[in-house]
Amino acid sequence: MKLSAYPAFTATAFTSRLAYRNQVWSGVFGELVATFAFIAVWTAAFVGRGTVDGVTLPDMVTYVLIAGPLLNWNTTRYIREVGDAIRTGDVTTFLLKPLHYPALLFFNQLGNNAFEQLTITLPVAIIVAFTVGLLPPASLAHGLLFVAYWVVSWGIMFLIATLTAMLAFWLLTAFALDWFLRGIMAVASGAIVPLWFMPAPLAAVLGYLPFAWVSYYPSAVYLGKLDLPAAGLHLAIGCVWLAALAGVLTWLWSRMRHRLIVQGG
Amino acid sequence: MSPIISASGVGKTFRQLKRQSGFGGAIRSLFSRDYSEIRAVDGVSFAIEPGEAVDYLGPNGAGKSTMIKMITGILTPSAGSLSVLGREPHANRMVNAREIGVVFGQRSQLWWDLPVRDSYDLNRHIYDIPEARFADNLAFLTAMLDMAPYLDRPVRQLSLGQRMRAEIALALLHDPKILFLDEPTIGLDVVAKDAVRRFLSEVNKQRGTTIILTTHDLVDIEEICPRLIMVDDGKLLFDGELKRLRATLGSRRRLILEFATDPGPLALATATLAADEGATKHFLLENETVSLLDVLGELGRGHGLKDVKLEEPDIEEVIRTFYQNKPKLAAAL
Amino acid sequence: MSSVLRVIPHLIGIHIRTHMEYRGALFIGWIAQAIGYAGIYASIALLLARFENLGGWTWPQMALLLAFHLLAYALGASLSFVQFRDMEEKVRLGTFDAILVKPIGPWTFLAFSGLNIEYGGHIALAIGLMVWSVSNLGIDWSPGLVLYFLAAIVSAAMLTAALMTMIGATALIWVRSRHLFSIFFGFWELARYPLNIFPLPLQIMMITFAPLGFLAFIPTAVALGKPVPILGDWAGPASLAIGPLFVLLAIVHWRYCLRNYQGAGG
Repeated sequence: MKLSAYPAFTATAFTSRLAYRNQVWSGVFGELVATFAFIAVWTAAFVGRGTVDGVTLPDMVTYVLIAGPLLNWNTTRYIREVGDAIRTGDVTTFLLKPLHYPALLFFNQLGNNAFEQLTITLPVAIIVAFTVGLLPPASLAHGLLFVAYWVVSWGIMFLIATLTAMLAFWLLTAFALDWFLRGIMAVASGAIVPLWFMPAPLAAVLGYLPFAWVSYYPSAVYLGKLDLPAAGLHLAIGCVWLAALAGVLTWLWSRMRHRLIVQGG
Repeated sequence: MSPIISASGVGKTFRQLKRQSGFGGAIRSLFSRDYSEIRAVDGVSFAIEPGEAVDYLGPNGAGKSTMIKMITGILTPSAGSLSVLGREPHANRMVNAREIGVVFGQRSQLWWDLPVRDSYDLNRHIYDIPEARFADNLAFLTAMLDMAPYLDRPVRQLSLGQRMRAEIALALLHDPKILFLDEPTIGLDVVAKDAVRRFLSEVNKQRGTTIILTTHDLVDIEEICPRLIMVDDGKLLFDGELKRLRATLGSRRRLILEFATDPGPLALATATLAADEGATKHFLLENETVSLLDVLGELGRGHGLKDVKLEEPDIEEVIRTFYQNKPKLAAAL
Repeated sequence: MSSVLRVIPHLIGIHIRTHMEYRGALFIGWIAQAIGYAGIYASIALLLARFENLGGWTWPQMALLLAFHLLAYALGASLSFVQFRDMEEKVRLGTFDAILVKPIGPWTFLAFSGLNIEYGGHIALAIGLMVWSVSNLGIDWSPGLVLYFLAAIVSAAMLTAALMTMIGATALIWVRSRHLFSIFFGFWELARYPLNIFPLPLQIMMITFAPLGFLAFIPTAVALGKPVPILGDWAGPASLAIGPLFVLLAIVHWRYCLRNYQGAGG
C-alpha cells in the first residue's frame, strides 16, 4: 500500500470519535478537574515563596498543562486494544492486508490523538488561559524548538506505548504492562514533578532516559529553562532515542510477524 | 385448565435514538439528539396451556425477543396485561424466576473458565434446590444429554454442541414449569441438533414442561412444536398449528416432470412453471382442487414423459409464502 | 434474606475459582497496579521532599491520606467498579437479561459473583503505606480513635460502592454510563490531596453532590486532628454517616433504574 493512503486512517479515526459526544464532554470535564487539581497543588506548594530553583508559580501552571494533557497523552486504551489484538490473534487479519501494521497504528492513533487534543486539551487550555493564565514560549526560537520537541515527544510516546503493547505477545498481559508503564511514566517523564525539583542524582539518571523527552524536555524548552544550545543538543539526543525505539519496534514487529506466520495465527 | 401464560393486548414501546449520518451529522449530534418511538410489540394476545410446546416465530426485529423478555419478567409491558402462572411476571420477577428456565442461545450462562459442574452447583444454591432433588435431576440430565464425559471440563474447552446441552441442563435443574429457549440449535452440527431436539421433545412429553421456543430452524418446529405463533412488526400474524397454516395458505404442491429429452417451453393452465432445467421441469400446483390427473391430462401424450414426482410443500416454502402474502392473509385470517 | 446470605459465599467462591485458573496473571496484575500507584505516590513524595508541606500536610501525613484513599477505594471498588463499569456491555449484549431471570437480586449477584480480588495489589500497597505513615506520625491511638478510624474506612468504602452502583445503574436506562465513570475519577483524583488547597466552590462540591472529600481527606484530617474546612466539628460524625446515607440513595436509584429497564431495545 502506498504511504499516501495511510492518512485516510487518521481521518477515519478522527471522525469516528465524533459519534461519542458523552466521551467528549466527560473527557473535557475530567481533564479540567485534573488540571486544576495540579494547579491547586502547585499553588499550595508555592505559598510564601516567590521562586524555587528559578521557577515561578506561573511557570508551573504552564508546565502542568504542557507536560500533562498535551504531551503525556493517555495511552491506556491504545495499549489495551493493541495488546488484546496481538494476544487474541486478531492481529493476523492485518497480516493478510497489503499494509504495514505499525504504520496503520501510527496513523490511526494520530487521528485519535488529534481528536483528543482538539476537543479536550484545547478547551482546557483556553479555560486555564482565561482563568489562571498561561505563559507564552520564552522566545520565538524556544517556541519553534518546542514544535520540533512536540513531534519527537509524540513519536517517543507512540513508540513506547506500541512497544509496551507488543510485549503482551511474549509476556504478561496488556493490562499489567499498561500499569507498569503508568508507574514509570508518572515519575520518569516529569509529567507530574519536573526533573529540576528532584534530587540531583535521580534527575541525572532520568534525564538520560527516553521518558524525559515525552514531558520534561519539551516543557522545559517552552519555558526557556534550557538555553538554546542545550535545547538543540537535547533535541538531537531525543532524535537518537526516537530512531533507536523505532528500530526496536521494527525488529520486534518482524519477529512477531514471523512467529504469527509460523504458528498460523 | 387455565392457561399457564396469557397475554392480552400486550404492547411495548421503546424510545430510540436517531443517528445522523456523515461528518456534519456527527458534529450536530454532539449538541442535539432526536428520538423516535418504536412499537416493538403491538397489541398481542394469546394463551398457552400447560404442557404445550410453542414456537414464537418472526423475522429479526419483529418483536419476538421483546415479548419473551416481558414473559420472563425482564421488561415491563407498556400496554395490556400479561400473566405467567397466574402472576404478573415483572412485578413478581424473583418468584417467577424460580418457576421458569431460560436458555439464551448465544449468551452463555455457564462460567466460562470453570468446570460445568461448578455452574450447576452455584445454581443449586441460587435456586435453593434440595440436595436429593438436585442429585436426581443432575443424574437424569447427565444421562439424557450424554454429559458425563465433560461434566468436569472447563466450559471454554467444550464444543458448541456440548455447551448447548450443558446450558439446557442448567436451565432444567430446578424443575421449571416453563422452559424458554432462544435459538437453541443455531450453529450446531446435524448430530447435535438432533440430540437437542429429541431431548426437548422428550422433556415436553414426559415431564410435561411447557416449552417456548424462538427458532428460525424449521426442523425444530416440525419436531418439537406443534403450535406456531407468528409475529411481524410487533403484531400477531398467525396462531395455530402448522397443519392449519399449510391449509390456510393452500398447498403449493410441487410437481416435478422428468422428460427423456427437453420438450421445449411448456405452459399449463393448471400449474405454473417454477424452475426449468431443460429435461426436468418444476411446476407449482396453485390450489388443493387441482389433481395430478388434471395436469397430466392437460399436458397430453407425446412429450416423452419419463417420470412424475409430486412433493408436499416444505415448511420453508409455507413460511416464505406466508410472509409474502401477509397483507392478503391478514384480511383472510 | 437469610437465603441470600447463604448464597453469597458461593457467589464469591465461583469468582475466586475463576481467578485461580489464571493465578499468574492475577499476581502480576497485583504487582503492576501497585507499581502504577507507587509511581504517582513517589511523584507526590518528591514534590514534598522539595517543598516540605502541601496545604499544611507533611509527607508522612500525606502518606496516610494516600493510603486511606487507596484502601477505602479498593474495598468499595472490589464490590462494584468492574462489575458496574461493564454494565453498558451487559445491557448491550443481553448478559444483564440473563441475570434478571435468576431468582436473586441482580445487585447481589453482580457485586458478589464479581467480587474483585484483583484489588489485592491496591490493598497491600495501601496497608503497607498506612503502617509506615502511622509509625512515623506518633498519633495518640485511643480506643475511640481506633474505632472511628476503622468505621470511617468502612463508611468510605460504602460511599465508593454506592457511587459506582448509581453510575452503573444509569446504563439500565440510558445504555451509556462509562462517561460518568470518567467524571467520578476526576473527583477521585482530587480526593487524594488536602481539600483546603482547592478553591471554595470545589471544596463545597467535594462534600456535597460529589462527596469524594469523604473518601479520604475528611476522615484522615479528623484522625490527625487537623481542621476540616466548612464542616468543622461536624466532620467526624458526617464522615461516618456519609457511607450509609449514600447506600440508601443508591438502593433507591438502583430500584428506580431496574423498574425502568429497557433492555438493549428492539
